[in-house]
Amino acid sequence: MLLTRAHLLLLITSVVLPSGALQAQTSNAPDVLVSRQLAESEHIRVGQTIVLSPHANGAEARPFRVVGLYEPTPDPQRLGSVPREVRMHLPDLLNVTRLPGQAAGTEPADGINVALTRRDDTDAFVRDVNARMPGVGAMRADLAGNAIGTFTVLERFHYAIAAVTILAATVFLLALTIMLVDERRETVGVLRLIGLPVRRILVQILLEGLLVAAAGAVLGLLLAYASEGLINRFFQWKYDTAMLFVGITPRLALRCVSIAIPLGAAATVLASWALLRRNGLRLVRR
Amino acid sequence: MRALAFAARSLTRQPARATLGMLGVAAVGALLFDMLLLSEGMIVSMRDLLDRTGFDVRVTTTPEMPRTAPRMENATETVDAIQKLPDVRTAIAIRFADVAIEHGQGEPLTGTFQGIVGASRPWTVMKGRDLHDTAAEIVINRILANDLHLEPGAAIVARTSCDSSPNASLPVTFHVSGIVSFPFELANEIMIGGTLATLERACGDVTRDQADMVLVTSTGPSDAVATAIGRIRPDLRAATNAQMLGRVEQGGFTYFRQISTVLTTVTVAFALLLICVLLTVSVNQRLGEIAALRALGFSRRRVVADVLCESALIVGTGGLLSLPLGALLAMWLDRILKNLPNIPADLHFFVFEPGALLLHLTLLVVTAFVAALYPMQIVARLPIAATLRSEVIS
Repeated sequence: MLLTRAHLLLLITSVVLPSGALQAQTSNAPDVLVSRQLAESEHIRVGQTIVLSPHANGAEARPFRVVGLYEPTPDPQRLGSVPREVRMHLPDLLNVTRLPGQAAGTEPADGINVALTRRDDTDAFVRDVNARMPGVGAMRADLAGNAIGTFTVLERFHYAIAAVTILAATVFLLALTIMLVDERRETVGVLRLIGLPVRRILVQILLEGLLVAAAGAVLGLLLAYASEGLINRFFQWKYDTAMLFVGITPRLALRCVSIAIPLGAAATVLASWALLRRNGLRLVRR
Repeated sequence: MRALAFAARSLTRQPARATLGMLGVAAVGALLFDMLLLSEGMIVSMRDLLDRTGFDVRVTTTPEMPRTAPRMENATETVDAIQKLPDVRTAIAIRFADVAIEHGQGEPLTGTFQGIVGASRPWTVMKGRDLHDTAAEIVINRILANDLHLEPGAAIVARTSCDSSPNASLPVTFHVSGIVSFPFELANEIMIGGTLATLERACGDVTRDQADMVLVTSTGPSDAVATAIGRIRPDLRAATNAQMLGRVEQGGFTYFRQISTVLTTVTVAFALLLICVLLTVSVNQRLGEIAALRALGFSRRRVVADVLCESALIVGTGGLLSLPLGALLAMWLDRILKNLPNIPADLHFFVFEPGALLLHLTLLVVTAFVAALYPMQIVARLPIAATLRSEVIS
């Protein structure tokens, strides 16, 4: 069991260059990391000294030395709001935000992140903390926070859209295959008249359907791969975030193919079935 | 009219393909309709929610959304100063705090405590009465009342904290004066309302007089009131409902607008391509028949009109079917999206607007026309004699 660090963010309410009385404090100013977005909007550079205040009016401002810039972890909950954030050591943050009269060490913290030496112990550790420390709630990191909920809901939404799209595509596919099969009515009739059994023709149609569906699935995947970077770049630019919006994984590609190919083949066979049940002479219109 | 009747007969001759074409358009059209509802739905719903609260100016310390911005100091003084401005009917300050309600068995129920400074209230009383001036009185929302079977007059014990986890603060007993409805309360969110003094007493008698935001009802133009507030308190940001909507639009909600734009484009392109293919294949199968009609005296314009009417019938019937289908689909998708965290219970993602319906119909009309262009061109350029000859030979 190892206590690592507390993630805390201080909202910047004023960023100004140090001057006057603050000048003296700047020599031993604590270190701070600045988010890329804040650095870009306020033209902050590494090595510069900035002044941060916990109050909207800039009162009790203190200088901090910028030792680095960082890319904030993308948060779907905050999509659209530019993360103007800084990160600092917890004691430095508490020095800035401590209430008048509050003793050092009694300040509240939002949370403690814990990295265990053995991941398998997570559930037991959570149970232990909750039982032994009343007033403190421990939970697995993968279940904490709203972001998980957001992702789950968005995933369900996208699945629902995908389901409707597949349904519409299937209906169109059936309509198209019925027309295409109808176009080959006479060819199928001749094959029947020269003695090919229905099963043999059906296998041929199934193979054709599989080939066409596979080619369509591959083309679809190629199109998806080609547009993946484009969509990500557009939305990353739009929201100024490093978040990935579209990610085509091998598992996802496999799932798409496993839906597209059987669907295409099934539509072909289904559309052909009604035709093959007819007499060979009727098919050649004799 | 004759062309339309002729096209209808052509479609009924091939009922399977015509039905499937219409069903396909209905499914695609339903998705298209929903995406159009989604593009503005949240904004329309949010505007409605903002207007329903009765406050038309919101004051915070930064342009961030309330509860994400730093708190303002001297809330009482701020409310008094705003209240004295001309064109201001009423102003209240709200402070949010976390609260844990004890109920004997199991974990405490957690929720939000709204502490109010000012004469009016942001909530609507559903049962019982509003707060009197006693520091021990609170109002609760229906979710808490239902969870703990509370009625006006009941007492609850809660731990409130203005800074850290509510579990760390001392338990305080409150008396419920009424059951109310809070604007912007989240689905399944427990909410308690009281005066700021009640909240601060619950937080351990620490008088900080801080607020997360000030709500103002104006009697005149809200823009002028917002400007006047900015003049007397330049350290604060006053925003009208329209400006708040602008902030919301720039926030995370734009994701749904982008998704809607992308899916609208894809859906229209998909429909266009498929209807065009359906019509083209259908026309190619009937080239001999069309050439015979031309030979019998049907004009070029007439056979072209037949193809256009077929397209219009497929898209029109499918489009009509897409409206009820789209409404059902919207309800399903709305239920899914309302599970997103921090979404007010009364906010909807898919909201019907006449503009969306008009755009939907326009896009369908354009789709029907554009999809028919290529098959119309085939029919228009059809060589009558050569087609009839090749039909006879084949």
